[in-house]
Amino acid sequence: MQLTLEFGGGLELLCDSVKVHSVDVDLPAEEKKLTMKHLLAWVRNNLIKERPEMFMKGDTVRPGVLVLVNDCDWELSGQLDTTLENKDVVVFISTLHGG
Amino acid sequence: MACNGTGCQSGCYKDTTGDQHDNHNNSAADANADDNNRRHRTTCLKCKATEATVFTGGDGGGRFCADCFRSNLYGKFKLAVTSNAMISPTDKVLVAFSGGPSSRVALQFVSEMQLKAQKNYDATANRDRSLPVFAVGVAFIDESEIHPVASAAFDKAVEDIKEIVSNLPLPTKELHVAPISHVYSTKTSDGKQMLRNLTNSVSDATGKEDLLTHLRMLSLQKVAIKNGYTKLVLGSCTSRIACHVLSATVKGQGYSLAADIQYADARWEVPVVLPLRDCPLQELNILCNLDSLKIVDIFNETGAGINGLVSSFVKILQEENPSRECTIVRTAGKLTPFPFNRIPEANVDDADLVSQRRQKKFNLKPIESLPPESFCPICNSPMSCYGNAESRPELFRAACCPSCQYQILPDEASSMDQFYSFLPESIIARAKNGNQKWIREKIQDCLLLDDEDEV
Amino acid sequence: MEMEGGEKSRSRLCSICNQRRPALKRPKTLQQICRECFYVVFEEEIHRVIVDNNLFKPGERIAIGASGGKDSTVLAYVMSELNRRHNYGLDLFLLSVDEGITGYRDDSLETVKRNELQYGLPLKVVSYKDLYGWTMDEIVKMIGLKNNCTFCGVFRRQALDRGAALLKVDKLATGHNADDIAETVLLNILRGDIARLSRCTSIITGEDGPIPRCKPFKYTYEKEIVIYPLSYTPLILLSFSFLFGFDGTLPFIY
Repeated sequence: MQLTLEFGGGLELLCDSVKVHSVDVDLPAEEKKLTMKHLLAWVRNNLIKERPEMFMKGDTVRPGVLVLVNDCDWELSGQLDTTLENKDVVVFISTLHGG
Repeated sequence: MACNGTGCQSGCYKDTTGDQHDNHNNSAADANADDNNRRHRTTCLKCKATEATVFTGGDGGGRFCADCFRSNLYGKFKLAVTSNAMISPTDKVLVAFSGGPSSRVALQFVSEMQLKAQKNYDATANRDRSLPVFAVGVAFIDESEIHPVASAAFDKAVEDIKEIVSNLPLPTKELHVAPISHVYSTKTSDGKQMLRNLTNSVSDATGKEDLLTHLRMLSLQKVAIKNGYTKLVLGSCTSRIACHVLSATVKGQGYSLAADIQYADARWEVPVVLPLRDCPLQELNILCNLDSLKIVDIFNETGAGINGLVSSFVKILQEENPSRECTIVRTAGKLTPFPFNRIPEANVDDADLVSQRRQKKFNLKPIESLPPESFCPICNSPMSCYGNAESRPELFRAACCPSCQYQILPDEASSMDQFYSFLPESIIARAKNGNQKWIREKIQDCLLLDDEDEV
Repeated sequence: MEMEGGEKSRSRLCSICNQRRPALKRPKTLQQICRECFYVVFEEEIHRVIVDNNLFKPGERIAIGASGGKDSTVLAYVMSELNRRHNYGLDLFLLSVDEGITGYRDDSLETVKRNELQYGLPLKVVSYKDLYGWTMDEIVKMIGLKNNCTFCGVFRRQALDRGAALLKVDKLATGHNADDIAETVLLNILRGDIARLSRCTSIITGEDGPIPRCKPFKYTYEKEIVIYPLSYTPLILLSFSFLFGFDGTLPFIY
């Protein structure tokens, strides 16, 4: 599945300072759809190069990281349960950068 | 702030590392001199004679021998009781016992105090004007209707509580086990259903927990009133109060917070007292271990809401900086208490006793704040504006404090109607001004007392 | 609400206009609102805060503390927008502090400079070197990494005041948001700092001093400040480069 992932607010520093990633994520075995929960695990394993604790806490993002799926707050689409489709754009922004 | 933390930590941990160092040296040649040194270090801070076996962190913490630790802790309890006139000789005191360490210690200390009073009474019984001895009872609120537990586990818990109460020093204390649904005056089975409906109509996890806390207090009050008790003793310790300070701040209960954290709270028909306000949970735990005071662990699940988050936060803070809980309570202690935050003087015919007791009172802060305009019918929080309440659900909403409105009451009108229909009569009655009138009278007592003191 | 229960929450409509699909859950009210309504209420709320609290008087010279970070960048943009739209009659300036930390401010100063061009707000940069004769790098060299935050904090506060005095401004507006203030309240409770606790929530402070400070974002949540620039057209996005493109951010790990 083709996805565009964008990292902002300092999170890009955790993945070689690259802000926009065009990625191809495979469906997890025995699953019919890709959820944010799977995507986060995938990002952690494949994109995050250092200090994963700045990005994740448990199986979700660390408090203070905003997630937008196709420009829409993921709190509206069910957070970890949000289902992703081909060509979706997912944005991660840390609110923890300076004021 | 970081400097503060490390500064204290290094101070607190210095002793520990020092000891290890000593142990290491012990094996070396001059063991003799070192042994002296060690003995000196581990001597009880208070009596300076016995070896210290107890280490308490935090404010005024130190190394004590078991006896001094016990008397130090009891001393804090005793000081709180006497300086706030919590218990008078004519009182009938109900101790709320949850099974946890705090209320276990409260129960133990109240019993010890009663035993001492009894000994005094026996010694002076022949003379005139000897003070009567206050009576003690114990209440355990059965919450199995809300937190389902296996009936065997529950029966075991009740057996344990009975045993604890019967093993307390004489005179014998009556134990009241009351299901939380008895806040409803209807038949038990209907009450159970109403209670279940009520809690189910609150969707927010924190709101549900808070509502349960308020219902627990209603139950305790009901037990106390029904059985003629005149004071209700809670085991709220420093740690518990520190958590309440933070969670109340988070819930926007800044105005009413001062009411909840004082030694005495006469908002309730049976005044509530907090004699363990100055005792951190850590010390209460130590005492329970030291004296093998039995704890009954039931209904003690930590919630997922604000309250659970705050208490784990405070716990971590306390581990990193042993006096943090005290600081939080001290900070909140700067809030001006309400007029009802003291025990109102009893009846006129007690005048003799009153004058005797008054000598013991010191340190009572003058109360400057104005009496509140009204009280929230759900949580009994004082409110600065007057909510006019009728029996209609929407007007009931207006009578509640903003925090209960946000956290507990359902948003939509239809759910609100349902919620309202499940409320216990006593809450509805409170909304209908009866409570406010009663409170006014109570406050009047307090205000009169202020005038008296000035003369 | 129009559908059965909440299971079809995707098909809900914006709770303000009831027409478009929501794009944001407001942290303050938990309302679900669409992009268009979001930036209307976002700006309107700040306008109300400014008016209801009499933060500014017509003709005043106001310095906006600009770090290049998200709060001050959005503040500069919103202030200049509202000043124009509602005829506040304010003379607005950007004020930046250059601590002289290699690689730290260089980028963010670039952002601030772009903002200067973008909104036509004059910019004044005060450097530690100018004010104190030391750069932060030199201070760190002297005292090590451990306690330099204390220095930086104290110096920065003073530097803003001194810069504001140089610009002869009447008031200093800072980007402190609701989350910052909540954090300060908790910290002051934990520290037992009663004096700070009682004044940390005031929207205007230092009125008795030479230059009062105010916080127009006092009631604005951090999440909305971060999302706000995203709901704008690409043209304006350019100036919010701390999010995309140019790296104007203060690295949060510093």
